[in-house]
Amino acid sequence: MKDAPKHALPLGVDKVSAGFPSPAADYEDNRLDINDYLVRNPVATFFFPVQGDSMQGAEIFDGDILVVDRSVEPAHGHIVVAFVSGERLVKRLHKRDGRVALVAENPKYPTIDVTEAMEVVVWGVVVGKFKRVPA
Amino acid sequence: MPIFALVDANNFYASCEKLFDPMISGKPVVVLSNNDGVVVSRSAEARAMGVPMGVAWHQLRERAKREGIIAFSSNYALYADMSNRVVEVLSQFSPDIEVYSIDESFLELSGFPEEYSGRLAEYGQQIRQRVARWLGLAVCVGIGTTKTLAKLANHCAKKALAGQDGVCDFTVMSERDLSELFGKIEVGEVWGVGRKITARLEEMHIRTVRDLRDADAETLRSRFSVVLERTIQELRGVSCLDMEELAPANKQIMSSRSFGQYVYELPALQEAVSSYIAKAAEKLRAQQSVAGAVQVYIRTSPFNPKEPQYQKSVTVPLPEHTSDTRELTGYALGVLNSIYRPGFAYQKAGVMLSELQPKHVRQGSLFTDSEGAARSGTLMSTMDSINRKFGRGAMQLLAAGTGKSWQMRRGNLSPAYTTSWDELATVLAK
Repeated sequence: MKDAPKHALPLGVDKVSAGFPSPAADYEDNRLDINDYLVRNPVATFFFPVQGDSMQGAEIFDGDILVVDRSVEPAHGHIVVAFVSGERLVKRLHKRDGRVALVAENPKYPTIDVTEAMEVVVWGVVVGKFKRVPA
Repeated sequence: MPIFALVDANNFYASCEKLFDPMISGKPVVVLSNNDGVVVSRSAEARAMGVPMGVAWHQLRERAKREGIIAFSSNYALYADMSNRVVEVLSQFSPDIEVYSIDESFLELSGFPEEYSGRLAEYGQQIRQRVARWLGLAVCVGIGTTKTLAKLANHCAKKALAGQDGVCDFTVMSERDLSELFGKIEVGEVWGVGRKITARLEEMHIRTVRDLRDADAETLRSRFSVVLERTIQELRGVSCLDMEELAPANKQIMSSRSFGQYVYELPALQEAVSSYIAKAAEKLRAQQSVAGAVQVYIRTSPFNPKEPQYQKSVTVPLPEHTSDTRELTGYALGVLNSIYRPGFAYQKAGVMLSELQPKHVRQGSLFTDSEGAARSGTLMSTMDSINRKFGRGAMQLLAAGTGKSWQMRRGNLSPAYTTSWDELATVLAK
């Protein structure tokens, strides 16, 4: 999310001091921001919570929030969010030898073969996920 | 020589709705204005069915039910976020950008990359493709040597009168082709030429863009205004309107206050925000300006660390510049409702009106209702003079508080898909 809070922005302003410089000064810029880790291109990134268990094999579970980046070109093997017949689905994209399919990562769920007649929109590519843990 | 591009999102509000809702794909969709009043955006399907722009929802409701037209209330949080994202993407194509409205921006392209020299239409296609791929929104690009020409080129791109695939570049068209094209476009399509001017031009047999371009500028200046003369110059390729850079700091009006005691409930915040808008709008009218954007912010007390902290500020670009307290209040309350979270002790709220322009240079847009604007002007100045005479607050809108809570009518509001953790769209793993 574009305006997710960034933590503690060091301004890089060092006071001139007569003594030894603080040994910590060199490390001020290094505090980690989870946005940097999960979001590659903020302007094209959207979040979607997951409902269901069909992507367990890809370690995507019920309640996870997906990081979906529309600026990534969907390719064979990507996990994608797709609009299929009025539903938002998360599937693995199969795109080989002229066959396009949306594959679940759980044997309980059938593969959707995408044909010309079907209205399928590959909405964006999943590049990460996150979840809060009760504490 | 400057080169301008006008990038304009197609059916912007309706397209934002379609982007996140797979149930409405391929279906006719309309988006309604404040309080579900009139249609302000139509999907291509609704357009094709002949649903007129600006039609009152109560007149359309029966037909909508019969023909399966889906209506949404205005989702300001969503449109503002998507608008900001579009601007961010466009900024990658030119450092010189002017956000003209929620769905239109001018880019200055005279410093475009060398490799696109003479091939600006290709650059336009890249803009189009990136916005489409990254944000799922269709835009059209018009390119010309003046802002007025860029705007007209955009119209041609949108209506497929010239150019290709949603991009139209006047700078590569010959004089002859342009003249022929301008001879086919009604003069009312020119930026700043509204209904009234069109009617008066008609009396002078000026009916097409070409007629206006070739008219005697001196005569039209004396009969109309220097603004119209400038428009003629711009149609001839003489750039008179520069890019307007970011508004300087004094081009904003703020109104905010800390509360005497903590405020928890939405209705109380609504009353506060309404009264700040009333104050700010009065200042706005006093300086003969209109505002193009409204910001609302609310926050808890940072000096009360025991209480849970929350603060949020959202700016909404307006579809039309205005100084009408009623309109501004509607937008501000829309923002407030989308940022309010229950369970916090609010200590301060504020509003800011920005993107101010002098009233007289205000350009007409599709929704401009000049009679309505005149009526609103009279009402507002009456309100201001009563308040001057009897003290501020003597005459006010109901929304600004008579002790009653006030709710916007937003019957079919879609979720704030991109700005609220609680309203994200679920994807099914099935």
